[in-house]
Formats: sequence, structure tokens, C-alpha cells
Amino acid sequence: MSSSSSAAATAACCRHLASFLSSAGTSPFDLPSPSSSAVRFCSSCNAAGPRLYACLSCPSVRCHLHRNHHNDHLIAVDILRGELFCSACSDQVYHPDFDSHLILSLGTPPTPFADLGRRKRRKVEYRPWAPAEAELAAITSGSTVINPTKEESGGFDHPKGLRGLNNLGNTCFMNSVLQALLHTPPLRNFFLSDRHNRFACQRKNGVVFGNDSGNGKGRSSCLACDLDEIYSAVFSGERAPFSPAKFLYSWWQHAANLASYEQQDAHEFFISILDGIHERIEKDHGRPQSLGNGDCCIAHRVFSGSLRSDVMCMACGFTSTTYDPCLDISLDLEPHPCAPTKATSSKSHRPCNGEVESALSGQGSAIPTLMGCLDRFTRPERLGSDQKLFCQQCQMSQESLKQMSLRKLPLVSCFHIKRFEHSSTRKMSRKIDRYLHFPFSLDMTPYLSSTILRRRFGNRVLPVDGEEPDQNEPSSKLELFAVITHHGKLDAGHYVTYLRLSNRWYKCDDAWITQVNENIVRAAQGYLMFYVQKMFCYKASDKMATSS
Amino acid sequence: MSAPSEDNTAAHAQLASQFFGDLLESIIVDVASECHRIARLGLDQNLEDEEEELKLSTQARVRAADPGNSGEANSKYVVDIFGQTHPPVANEVFECMNCRRSIMAGRFAPHLEKCMGKGRKASLKAMRSSTAAQNRHSRAALLGYSPYSNSNGTTRLSNGSTSIAGDELSNGTCDEP
Repeated sequence: MSSSSSAAATAACCRHLASFLSSAGTSPFDLPSPSSSAVRFCSSCNAAGPRLYACLSCPSVRCHLHRNHHNDHLIAVDILRGELFCSACSDQVYHPDFDSHLILSLGTPPTPFADLGRRKRRKVEYRPWAPAEAELAAITSGSTVINPTKEESGGFDHPKGLRGLNNLGNTCFMNSVLQALLHTPPLRNFFLSDRHNRFACQRKNGVVFGNDSGNGKGRSSCLACDLDEIYSAVFSGERAPFSPAKFLYSWWQHAANLASYEQQDAHEFFISILDGIHERIEKDHGRPQSLGNGDCCIAHRVFSGSLRSDVMCMACGFTSTTYDPCLDISLDLEPHPCAPTKATSSKSHRPCNGEVESALSGQGSAIPTLMGCLDRFTRPERLGSDQKLFCQQCQMSQESLKQMSLRKLPLVSCFHIKRFEHSSTRKMSRKIDRYLHFPFSLDMTPYLSSTILRRRFGNRVLPVDGEEPDQNEPSSKLELFAVITHHGKLDAGHYVTYLRLSNRWYKCDDAWITQVNENIVRAAQGYLMFYVQKMFCYKASDKMATSS
Repeated sequence: MSAPSEDNTAAHAQLASQFFGDLLESIIVDVASECHRIARLGLDQNLEDEEEELKLSTQARVRAADPGNSGEANSKYVVDIFGQTHPPVANEVFECMNCRRSIMAGRFAPHLEKCMGKGRKASLKAMRSSTAAQNRHSRAALLGYSPYSNSNGTTRLSNGSTSIAGDELSNGTCDEP
């Protein structure tokens, strides 16, 4: 168990329970199974309910009026709800051993929980690194310092790496995604630490830099190399806008079906270039496809997460689980809860019909939120009777319940809001401009598989081998750093990226970089939102650390 | 059952009332027990943060809707953070990596399309655009472009005529935020 949930569990166990357990022997919680059909009555007043408590120290059952203090037996179990009760504290108390005993006694196989404790490399402490003397000397002699004077930078101390990108003709979709990627912390760090050196890569692949025969066909495109070039250009301190022409050229070579002078979708482009980086790096390294591992290339190391899908048979409860890797999470916009005109009605003089509506909208549910979309994404969904799935246990097609959850959070989460709806009657799509609230800080704990599973089993403290991943740990807490907004219609519009650097917000509109107030960003129409884990954990490496 | 009499009715009513009371209490205790567990084990989310965020966002939208607020100046004629201004169509000139000709940045994409052999003649292009647009509708994508060229490939002359972002939608209407 993670430290904070076990700390809470310890606090929730009163001293009376603790002393009972220490003197109770090996099976303190053994009771007739809760599913036993024998009807019980209170031994004091013969009541059959509504709350009956079975004493853990003697075979007696009492209702809530008579449960206290018989023979100094303090601990009892609410037989309907499976909760421990302490008569001395007069309160419900908790213990993880009881929860695991209960779950095992229900006959539920522990396999769903074992899946959560996936084989993880143990976490290690962060050890700060500094270059050795010789390395420092080499760096200093082989480079020039980028340090614009105060006058040059217009008197403001703007963060590094801010540079406009020229629109090459219908390419704002590309510019907006590039700006977000240029400031994706782990990706930026990777390229700025020279982890993909374009000169070395091109030399290795037999391309002589700058010596083109004229038709460009000799040069096989490497999107990572072109990205490396853009990083160098953008962080160089040069302020005139940069033209990502080579990148466009390489991308069109990779994504032939999207290669045209037309408007494109930023999300499609984003997935396409991650794919391009992956393919090329895999080809170079000759490693076989390792889906779900996430260590194949920098694109996957940064963006790849894992989604868990549970399908539960509604007849027998058998659950089948599958895992799929994902590079982003596409979310449906919540449907409009009520007509906008009623949202502001006062509660006072309307008849009861209006009161109900205003009470509902008063909850704040009128504004769709990112968390609301994530709630919808992870809620159990009943598959219709026309979508029956084959259940292995029942050996026939049954109606089922499907639920998604996040097994592994990527380092950087990209949320894609599906701002379009199809009308099958009119055979067309249209864009949904409805405002979506997105937080600057996001806690993904409620959407993790561990939480969803735990909730499915009555929020029991689960008996997981090893560490419970991510729960209440900082790695579930995310910070927003980039927002790509779309303005316009489905087939004609404009993309703009807002970047958060040093807690200031900058608007990147093709070649124009301006600083904006955070309220502008809050009020913007988010299409792609990029969040990064607040804290990274370091895993022990299999390889011995050597200098490369 | 015997014929209904006043005593029986009263007893039935009392029983029914008792059953209802038991059921109601059972439901309430169910919910209370669940919430108690969540609260004691520290499993609940930070609801205050969420509400705070929503409040900030509502305030932000009110401020953004205020026309006096120049934060979202839509014009391409602003001065950027480095004190620079830029023309609506990028005029940096560089060499095309395919054919070596000198091309202006803002015209690079249409040039490259023809240069790489991906584009076709204008008339064919118009047809393909509409097919691609249909495919795109089924693929459900949001398209983004630069506001100074319309989507069927014909480009505007760079005669300095003004074009403000958001104006150039394919049906000529202007979308305000």
C-alpha cells in the first residue's frame, strides 16, 4: 500500500481494535459468510434489523440499540455492510486485514488486484548529476553562450525557447503542435541534451549533410532529426520567426495521405508525427516492435500510457480485462445538461418544475469540465442488448458492462476533446463550440485503474503485492503547460497555442508570440490540452551506468 | 386475511410505516457508511480545489467577454514580445529542398505540393478538396489554416491587402470568439 493510504488506514483503526487483534489469534474475523441466508435476530430485543451486528468475540448478534458493551466485547461486524464497529469509540473502524479477509471470503479471485501490482522496477532516489571537469571543459570550448542582454530582449526576461513559427501556407495546425512539443519538458530535455544528434544520425544513415543531388530523394527523412533542428533554432536566442520547411517536407514524405496543401487537423498531425518518430527510430535501432512497453523511442517514453478496459458479464459477474497502449486520450464533450435559458433562473418564485431545474444547474453542472469528461470516460457503461458479448463463464452472449480506466499514466498526457458531432440524418458533421473548463492542475487519481477497481469493490483497502501504483502519489498530479485552441468552423479555422512558462502564459499564433493574462487561457476553447506529471520518479536501470 | 376493520387497517398502516422506516434507515446508513469509509481512509478528492477552479474560469470568461479587454487582440498587426512586427504572409525566402528554387515562406506549402508531385492541377484539386472534405467529415477533424489563403488552393496576391485573423472563412462570414 502506498504510504498515505496505509497511514490513513492505520489512523482509522482505533486502539480497541488494535488490542483486540493482537490478542485474537490467527483468524479474528472468521464469521459465517455474509451471503448466508439465515435470518438473524437481535438477542436482546429480537428485532430483525435494520442494522444487526455480529460480535467478533462471541457468537451473539445484536441490533444497533443493544450492541454496546456486553462482556467487554467491543468489536462487532455490521453483517449487512461488512464494516467493523467499535462500541467504545461508538464509530465504524477499519483495518486492511479485515478488508482482505472479506474480499477473499466473498470468493472473488484476487487476480484483478494482482494485475495492478505489475512488475515494476523498484524506484530509486534521485541523484543529482553534474558534469566532470573534463566534460565541462569540452562543453565550454565547443560552444557559445546564449545570453541576450537586457536591452536586446526588450527589458523583459522572457523564458528561453520562445520563437515564432512562420505559416508556410495552411500550416497553423503544424505550428501549433510544434510549439506544444517544443515546450514539452521531457521531450525538450531529450533533444536539448543532444540525445538525438541530427548530424550523427545523418552520418550513420549515409546522408551527407548539405550535399543533395537536387531531387532530395537521396535523403531519407528523419522527423527526429528535423525536430532536433527546430529545437536548436528555437532555443538559439534568434528572435526572427523560424520556418519549419524541412519538417514539413519530411512529414509529407512520411504521411503521404495527408500530404497536401490543405487544412489539416492538429490532433491527426500530432499522432502522425509521433508515429513517424517511432517508426524511424525503431528502424534505425533494429529493435522489434514492443507495444505497451513504452521504451522504444522518445515519443512513446513521453506520451505513451496504458488504458485498461474491463468487460463484466451482467449475468455472472465474470470480468474480462484488456490493456491497450495509448498516446493520448480522446474525450467526448459532455452533452448539454439543460437548456441555457433555465440555467440562471432564480430559485424563488418558480413552480416546483423550475425549482428542480435551477437546483440542478445550480450545482455548476451546466459547464462541461475536463474532469466531467474524464468521469464519463471512466464510468461503467451498459452495452445495449444489441451489443451482447460472449462470456467465457456463461458460455453464451450476455449483456455486459464496460468500464475504462488508466492503468499507466504517461509522463505527458494529451487530452483531445472531440469537438465534432455527426448528424446521420443530415449526413454532415459540425463543430461543437461549447466551452469546456479545464483546470491548471489536475489530479488523475480518480481515473486510475487502482482507484476504479477499488471503488468497484466497495472501496476496500486492497491486498496488492508490492506497491500500489500511483495512488495518492505526486505522479498522479499533473500540471497544464500547453493548450491548443481552435477558432472557426469544422473545415476552416485557425489554431493557436498557449504556453505556460515560468508561470506566465504566452500566446503562439504562427509568427506572433505575445504574453497574455491567464484569464485569456481559462476562457479559451481548448481542443488539445497537454499536462505533465508534477514529479517524475526514477526507476532503477537494468543497464550499468556508463558514459556513452 | 379477515375482513378489514378499523383495528386491522391501523395495524397494517403501522406495519407499513415501520417497514418503510426500516428501509429508509437502511438506505441512509448504506450511504453514510460508504461516505464514512471514504472520508476516514482519505479516499476523497479535493473538492474545494475543483470549485475554486470553476470559479476562476467563470470569472475569466466574464472578463474575456468584456469588449474593453484587449487581451485577445485578434489582429496580426500586434507587436510581439520581442518588439517585432511581421507581415501577414511570411516573407522569409529560402531554398526548396526538393528543387533548389528560392521560395517565399508563406507560399512554401503550395509550392512544395506541386514540387513533390503530390498536388494536381487546380481543377482536379477542387474536386479532390471536396472529396477530401467529405472524407474528413467522416474522419471528424478540425481543420486549421492560415487566414489569408482560402481552402481551394488559390492564393491571395501579396498586394498588402489587409486580412484579419478569423475573417477568412470559406463562406465569407466572420466568426467572433
